[in-house]
Amino acid sequence: MNEQAFRNEVREFLKANFPEKWRFPAHRLSLKETHDWQLKLYEKGWAAPSWPKEYGGMGLPPYEQLVFQEEFDNYGVNSAPNMGITMLGHLLIRYGTEEQKAFYLPKILSCEIRWCQGYSEPGAGSDLAGLRTAAVLEGDHFVVNGQKIWTSYAHDADMIFLLVRTNKDVKKQEGISFLLADMKSPGITIKKIKNLTGNSEFCEVFFDNVKVPKENIVGKINQGWTMAKSLLGAERITIGAPKIARFPLKLVKQLAMDNGLFDDPVFKARYTELTLDVDDLDAAFIRFAEVLRRGDELGPEVSMLKIWITEAAQRVTDMLVEVGGEASVLDAPVSLSDGGSVHPANQSFSSRPASIYGGTNEIQRNILAKAVLQLPG
Amino acid sequence: MLDLQSRIDRLTEEQQMIRDSAASFFSDDGDLKGIRAQRGQQPGYRDERWQSMAELGWLGLMLPEEYDGMNLKFSEIIHLLEQSGRFLSPEPLVSTAVMGAGALLHGENDVCKSEYLPKLAAGEWKVAVAWQENIASMSLEAEAVTAKETDDGYVVSGKKLFIPSAGGADAFVISAKAGGRTILLLVNKEAEGVSVEFNERVDGGFFGTLSLNNVVVAKDRVIATAGVATLERVIEESRLAVSAELFGVMARALEITVDYIKQREQFGRPIGSFQALQHRAVDTFILVELSRSVLIQAAKTFDETEDTAARAKAASQVKARCSDAALQVTKSCIQMHGGIGYTDECNIGLYLKKAMVLAAWLGQATFHRTRYGELTNAA
Ligand SMILES: Cc1cc2nc3c(=O)[nH]c(=O)nc-3n(C[C@H](O)[C@H](O)[C@H](O)COP(=O)(O)OP(=O)(O)OC[C@H]3O[C@@H](n4cnc5c(N)ncnc54)[C@H](O)[C@@H]3O)c2cc1C
Repeated sequence: MNEQAFRNEVREFLKANFPEKWRFPAHRLSLKETHDWQLKLYEKGWAAPSWPKEYGGMGLPPYEQLVFQEEFDNYGVNSAPNMGITMLGHLLIRYGTEEQKAFYLPKILSCEIRWCQGYSEPGAGSDLAGLRTAAVLEGDHFVVNGQKIWTSYAHDADMIFLLVRTNKDVKKQEGISFLLADMKSPGITIKKIKNLTGNSEFCEVFFDNVKVPKENIVGKINQGWTMAKSLLGAERITIGAPKIARFPLKLVKQLAMDNGLFDDPVFKARYTELTLDVDDLDAAFIRFAEVLRRGDELGPEVSMLKIWITEAAQRVTDMLVEVGGEASVLDAPVSLSDGGSVHPANQSFSSRPASIYGGTNEIQRNILAKAVLQLPG
Repeated sequence: MLDLQSRIDRLTEEQQMIRDSAASFFSDDGDLKGIRAQRGQQPGYRDERWQSMAELGWLGLMLPEEYDGMNLKFSEIIHLLEQSGRFLSPEPLVSTAVMGAGALLHGENDVCKSEYLPKLAAGEWKVAVAWQENIASMSLEAEAVTAKETDDGYVVSGKKLFIPSAGGADAFVISAKAGGRTILLLVNKEAEGVSVEFNERVDGGFFGTLSLNNVVVAKDRVIATAGVATLERVIEESRLAVSAELFGVMARALEITVDYIKQREQFGRPIGSFQALQHRAVDTFILVELSRSVLIQAAKTFDETEDTAARAKAASQVKARCSDAALQVTKSCIQMHGGIGYTDECNIGLYLKKAMVLAAWLGQATFHRTRYGELTNAA
């Protein structure tokens, strides 16, 4: 199918199925509140653009994935990433047992099980390998004790994929395992954390003698770190996708047209500069994603995408706040003439942590310096 | 970190005194619990505190002695406002004691001055200036609010936007188009036809929208007939004042962050030992000290001249730098905090929010850079 036909098909589908009231929402919608829409995507076979076809994905080549996403952005679809699809699915496809794949993958696609990612801890953020939440094998179960923090959408999740310490006596990276736990297990408690927008998208998750069935380990015991790292590559290319800047860029344009700024040549020049920051990233993204499509692995170089696009997104939301003038600092959405709305301050707030989550941009720069430039130290 | 001010700048006794007393007053709420409790509340501050400020003489900071004022120089006022900025004071010091008081003081109505300014200084009466009519428009000419002349005064109608601290105000100085010119009028909040709508801001304070519907204003409530000139003076002075608060916001944000990165450990070391963060912190520090330098210079200009072009240029230079730097600094501080910086619970976010509000008010950096360019190239 040629590109235009594909774009038309996506657009038509969105028009027919995506609820008008959710277009250009003032804040990012959760998977839970958009459950019906997720089901429609699933029924159409469009839940997982990047998964291979044999597992129920669309098997789209990287460029087509971008095109697909761009149509969503243009239509004003803004919902939280489905971590089952963007992260866990890839890991299960690669490391899971046949039983795990057969059981979990369809339930991820159909949104029957919503997932959250339990890696970070109060003492283990950038130094993730320093994590201390411990799992001890007792008979048929691991018994888990400890605490996770910053767990996005834990309050909406049915299950959590988490990193736990299974050996304290070896190098810290070598004593970590990867578990899947039911959020309803006795001993798990969740505390929501309010963020700068006033919403709660992330949580603290406490584990007090939580029993996790032995078969819920993915990969071998103490192999969790290597697997999680390979997943971080997939996470970083996801975070490195143009989407997070493309969407607010669209809002900047609309708001600037509404405020009569779009014809101002100085504004136009700055807007175009930002547009190029995002368009150029498209080129890099496609080039990198192609590596994954070939079945090869992306190395540390993928960090450059994440650094570039998260910082570009911050420049875009800075501009959005500027374009909105004094109304931007009100804690209220501004109506747009195309029927949508924008909350400039919240767009700006939520672009801040993009350079923090998924490994901070300082950490990404360290990685590039050491592993790509091969600088000493 | 070192206190550079005490190494570099020779403060006068007056400057030192106002700085010290303001520091001790505002640092009372050092953990910002008091400010958190005021978020989303009206008027947004405790009257008790406002009264204490009155007792300290601060509400009359700009006023001459005949109106019970302290008659401070701008180079002293900035030290007071730096401290209120550092502790995110929600009290309407700039909007009442600088802007509101300035509108009356620089106007022509001596009766109103004698009647209201001593009350303002005593904390018994608060006034806000309502002049803006459009988003991001810094035009001083009133268009949307009109004043029709009658036998005993004016009938005023229209809408004013983005009025700070309108909740606590007893009255407004409004600009209105009368005949061909813009005049300033004093309007009581309780007057018939006056209504205020409040819009909550991200920092928990409010901007008011004032609607005037055939409000009758007596002739003796005309504050200024040369409205644009008076407003211009008031707004330039307010820009300097708000820049001082912005400066306080960024300076304190940096200190909080430097303390945090000294104490937070990852990889078995304080994160402040990583060169990436050290360089980031240093870049932030440079912005702060650059801003301070411009602030000191601008205050001096305001003390030395009443020339409108010179003041406009100084106001734009300092508002552009402080708005831009405060935003950059507070965002960088959030980055240095990591995940905790994105939480409501952590104070650093309050600094970003305050910086956003003050940066947007009275002209954002882009506006002021453009104006600075025009003023410079015209000279
Ligand atoms: C919105 C949001 C959503 C998140 N969602 C999830 C989730 O779903 N699941 C999950 O597990 N985690 C999640 N996280 C956590 C995220 O991965 C961590 O916040 C991140 O890894 C940083 O850790 P930290 O917050 O402890 O900061 P710290 O590690 O304490 O970092 C603080 C500062 O120090 C710097 N720093 C640290 N080490 C170095 C170094 N060696 N060199 C230079 N600079 C350094 C950092 O760059 C940062 O600027 C989320 C975070 C956010 C903000």
